Amino acid sequence: MALTLQILLPFFGGLACIPAARLGRNAERWVALASLLIPLMVLGLTCLGGDPGRWIAQYRVAWAPSLGIDVIFALDGLSALLLAVSLVLGAVSVVISWQVHERSGLFHAALCWTVAASNGVFLSFDLLVFAFFWEGMLVPSFLLIALWGHGKREAAAIKFLVFNAVAGLGLLAAVFYLGATGRPVSFDAFVLQGRHLAPITQVWLLLGFALAFLVKLPVPPLHAWLPDAHTQAPTAGSILLAGLLLKTGAYGLFRFPAMLFPNGFLALAPYGLALGGFGAVYGATLACAQTDAKRLVAYTSVAHMSIVLMGICGGRHFAMTGAAVQMIAHAFSASALFLLIGMVYDRVGTRDLRKLGGLQQTAPRFAAAFALFFSAALAMPGTANFLGESLVITGMFQGNWIFAAVALVSLLIAVVYATRLLIAIIFGAPGPAAVTQDLSLGELAPIVVLAAGTILFGLFPQLLILPLATAVDAAVASLDAVRP
Amino acid sequence: MNIDVIALAPFAVLAAAAIVAMLLAPLGDCRPAYIAAAFGLVCAALPALVRLGAGAAVAGRATGGFTALLADDGLARFGIVISCLSGLAALAFLRPSVRAPEGAALVVIAALGAATLSAAIHAATLFLGLEIVSVASIALFVLPLTRPALEAGYKFLILGGVGAGALLLAFALSYAATGRLGFAAWSDGSLLTALGAALLLAGLAFKLSLVPFHMWAPDVYEGAPAAAVSIAGIASKTAVVIVLLRLTAVSPPEPVWTGGLALAGAASILFGNLLALRQTSLTRMLGYSSVAHSGCLAVILGSGAPIAREAALFYLAAYAPALLAALCAAAAVGPDPHLNELRALVWRRPLIGAVLALSLVSLAGLPIAAGFLTKLYLFAALLESHAWALLGIAVVGSALGFFYYFRFLIAAFTAEPGVEAQDDRWTRPAAFPFPGRAVLLACALLMLVIGVYPGPLIGVLRAAATASR
Repeated sequence: MALTLQILLPFFGGLACIPAARLGRNAERWVALASLLIPLMVLGLTCLGGDPGRWIAQYRVAWAPSLGIDVIFALDGLSALLLAVSLVLGAVSVVISWQVHERSGLFHAALCWTVAASNGVFLSFDLLVFAFFWEGMLVPSFLLIALWGHGKREAAAIKFLVFNAVAGLGLLAAVFYLGATGRPVSFDAFVLQGRHLAPITQVWLLLGFALAFLVKLPVPPLHAWLPDAHTQAPTAGSILLAGLLLKTGAYGLFRFPAMLFPNGFLALAPYGLALGGFGAVYGATLACAQTDAKRLVAYTSVAHMSIVLMGICGGRHFAMTGAAVQMIAHAFSASALFLLIGMVYDRVGTRDLRKLGGLQQTAPRFAAAFALFFSAALAMPGTANFLGESLVITGMFQGNWIFAAVALVSLLIAVVYATRLLIAIIFGAPGPAAVTQDLSLGELAPIVVLAAGTILFGLFPQLLILPLATAVDAAVASLDAVRP
Repeated sequence: MNIDVIALAPFAVLAAAAIVAMLLAPLGDCRPAYIAAAFGLVCAALPALVRLGAGAAVAGRATGGFTALLADDGLARFGIVISCLSGLAALAFLRPSVRAPEGAALVVIAALGAATLSAAIHAATLFLGLEIVSVASIALFVLPLTRPALEAGYKFLILGGVGAGALLLAFALSYAATGRLGFAAWSDGSLLTALGAALLLAGLAFKLSLVPFHMWAPDVYEGAPAAAVSIAGIASKTAVVIVLLRLTAVSPPEPVWTGGLALAGAASILFGNLLALRQTSLTRMLGYSSVAHSGCLAVILGSGAPIAREAALFYLAAYAPALLAALCAAAAVGPDPHLNELRALVWRRPLIGAVLALSLVSLAGLPIAAGFLTKLYLFAALLESHAWALLGIAVVGSALGFFYYFRFLIAAFTAEPGVEAQDDRWTRPAAFPFPGRAVLLACALLMLVIGVYPGPLIGVLRAAATASR
C-alpha cells in the first residue's frame, strides 16, 4: 500500500491541482507540495521499518489476469533512492515555480503526473505495467515543454515526444515478445528471469529494450531531442528532465538487461562501452562549444549519462556501483545547474555566456552556488559525482583500460567547459546583462537542499553505497552466473 | 422450428423502432421520433449487452446460428452493442445540428443494417446488411443538403455502388464454384473461389476505407454531419470487421485473402498517416487517421495470429470512444474546425478541450487512454505471427501518428502567439446541448476505464472471440 501511494498520491494530487487553482491563494502549489512530500515521508517510514533482505517492500495484485498482467511493485535501495530523488526534485520544482501564474493548475498537474509516472517506472516489475508508466511519462512532460517553455517550444516538444515515443515502441514490442512467447503468458520480471532464452533471442530483445533506454538516457547518436527540449523547457521542466526522465533511462538499463538477458548483456556490453565512451567525449566536447548556458549543461548531461552507460556496461561490482551512484549524484548536480541558470534567465532574460559575467562581484551567493555545482559537474572530490565517476573509472580498469582512459579524457574536457563557464559567468567584468540581484533566502532553500544531497553523499559515500549494494549485487550475480 | 426469441429480439426491436420513428417523423415536432429511436436502440442493445457479459461466464459453450442466415454468438452481440451505442451517439449529434425529422429513422435503420451485418453468416444477410447500412448512411450524409455533404454522399454512393457490384460478382463466382452461399463455401480452393475472394475483399475494403478504396473517407468526415460519420466510421466499420473475422475463420483461398488484407492494411497505414500529416482540418485529419486505423485492423486480421480475433475486437472497442469523442468535440466547435479554430480550446471550453486532448492521446496510442492497449494488441498480433515487415510498417505509422495528433493537441492547449484567447464559454452556450455533453463524458470515461483497468473488458471480448464462428 505504501508503494501504490507513491504513484496514486502524486497522480490524484495533480488532478486536484486543477480545481485548486481556482481557489486562489496558491492552493494548487500547496496541494502539489503535499502530494509530493507525503509520499516522501511514507517512503522514509517504509524504508526504516522495511525488510533488510533483497526487497524492502513488495506489493502484488492481479490486474488483467486474462492478459497475464499483474501489478507488481518492489522496492529496494536503488528504487528507494530514485523515488526519494524524484519526489524531492518534484517538490523543488514546485517551490521554484512559485512565480508561474499562467495556467498554474495544469502546470502543477503536469509536474505531479510526471513524478507519478516516473515513480511507477522505478517501482514496477511487471514489464507491461513498466511500459505503461514508461510511455505515461511522455504526455505530462510534453505538456510542460510545449506550454510553459521558451522560444520554439512546440517544435522542441514534438521532437521530444516523437523520439521517445518511437523508441518506446521498441520496448513495447520486446516486452510483449518476451512475455507472450513463453508459457504461461506472464510479464512478471521475476518469472521471466527464470526463463532461459537462447543468446541470440536475448540480444534481439535487449536491443528493443536498449533502444528505449538509450534514447531516454540519452546517448549519441540518439540524443538529438535533448538539447532542444532542455533549452526550450521551463526551469521546472528542465529539472524534471535532467533529474527524473534521464534517470528512468539509466534505471531501466541498470535493472532489466542484466536481470532478464544476462547472455545478451554480455554480448552487447562492449558495444555499449564503446557507445558510452563516444558519448562521454562527444557530449563534453560539444559542451565546450556552446554559448547558451542551458544548452551547455544539456550537453554535459549527455556526457555524464554516457559515463553511467559505461559503468553499467562494465558489468562488475565497482563499475555498476559507480553507475548507480552517478545516477543519484547527477540528478542533484544537473538539476541545480538548470535551476541556477533558470534564475539567471528570469533576472536578465538571457543565457548567453558572452553577455553574462562578473557574478562574483554583483551577486556573491549566486556565484558560490554556481561554483559548487560546477565543481560537482567536473567531479571534484567531496561531491557525490566524484564518487560515482571514480568508481566507474576504477571499474573500467577491471575490464579494459582503454575505456578508463576514454572516461578520463571526458573528465579532462569537463575541466575545460566548467572553467569556461565559471570564467564567463562568475569572474571577469560584469557583462552587458550582469545579474545585480543576489539570491534571496527563499530562492536559496531549494539550492541548499540540492547542495546538501551533493555534499552529504560525497562526504559519506556509505550512505549511498550501502543501500545500493543489494541492487548492484543482484545485477552482478546475474551476470556472473553466465560469465564464461 | 425452435427460434431463440431473445437472440432475435434486437433485430425485431430495431425494425419496429425504425417504423415507429418513421411514422412519428411527419408530426412536425421531431422530439417523439428521436425518443422512440433512442428507446429502440437501448432496448436492442440491452439483451445483447447482457448476453455478451454473460458469455464471459459460460465461455466455451457452443453457440451456433439460430438460422442458416444469422449467427447468435459473441461476435454478433458485440457488433449489435457497438452498432446501437454508436447509433445513440449519432442521435445525440444529429438532433441539434440537422433539423430533419427523418434523421432518427435513418439512424435506427443504419444500426439495424450494421447489426444484421455483424450477425451475417450467409451471402444474403451479408449483402442485405451492407446495403441497408450503406443506403441509410448515404441519406444521413446528405441530410444537411450543403455542398460538401452532397459531394461526400455522391462519392460514397458511386464508389459504394462499385463495391456492391464487386461483392455480388464475388458471390456469383463462389456460387458457380461450390453451389452454396453460406460463408463455409469460401473454404473451397478452386480458382473461381480465389477470384471471388479477391473481389469480396475489395468490396469489404471499400467499407473499411482501406487503400486503394479510401477516397471517400476524408470527404465524408469533412463534409457529412458527425452523426453520419459515427455510423459509417464506427457501426459499419465494426460490422465489416466482424464479417472479415468470420470469413477469415473459414480460411478462404490463400494467399489471396490474408495476403490481400495485409497488403491493403500496410498501404493504408502508410498512406493514411502520410496524408494526415499535412491536414489542418480536424475532421479531415480524423478521416485519414481512420484510414490508418482501418489499416491496423486489416493488418491484425491478415496476420493470422491466434490472438488476432481478440485483438481486433479490443481495437474496435477502444477505438470507438476515441473517435466518437473527437467527432463530438469537432462538432461542438463548429462545422469543419481547422487548427486555428481549435487554438486554446482547453482554456476556452475546458470540457470539450480536455476530452479532445484525451481522445487525441488515445488515437496516438499513449497511456493513460485506451489507445495504448490497442497499440499493444497490434504489436502482439504482428509479433505472434512473426510478421516483421508489417511490424516495421506499424512502427513507422505509429511514429507518423505522433506528429499530427500532437500538432492538434498543442493547438488545443496554446493560443496563437500574441493573440489572447478569449473565454467564449458564456457567449455560445447553446452550441453544445446536453446530449452531446453526455456522449463526450461517456466516451472520456470509457477511454480512461479501458485504458487503466482493461481486465473485465478483455475477459468478455476473449470469451466472445473464442466461442464464435
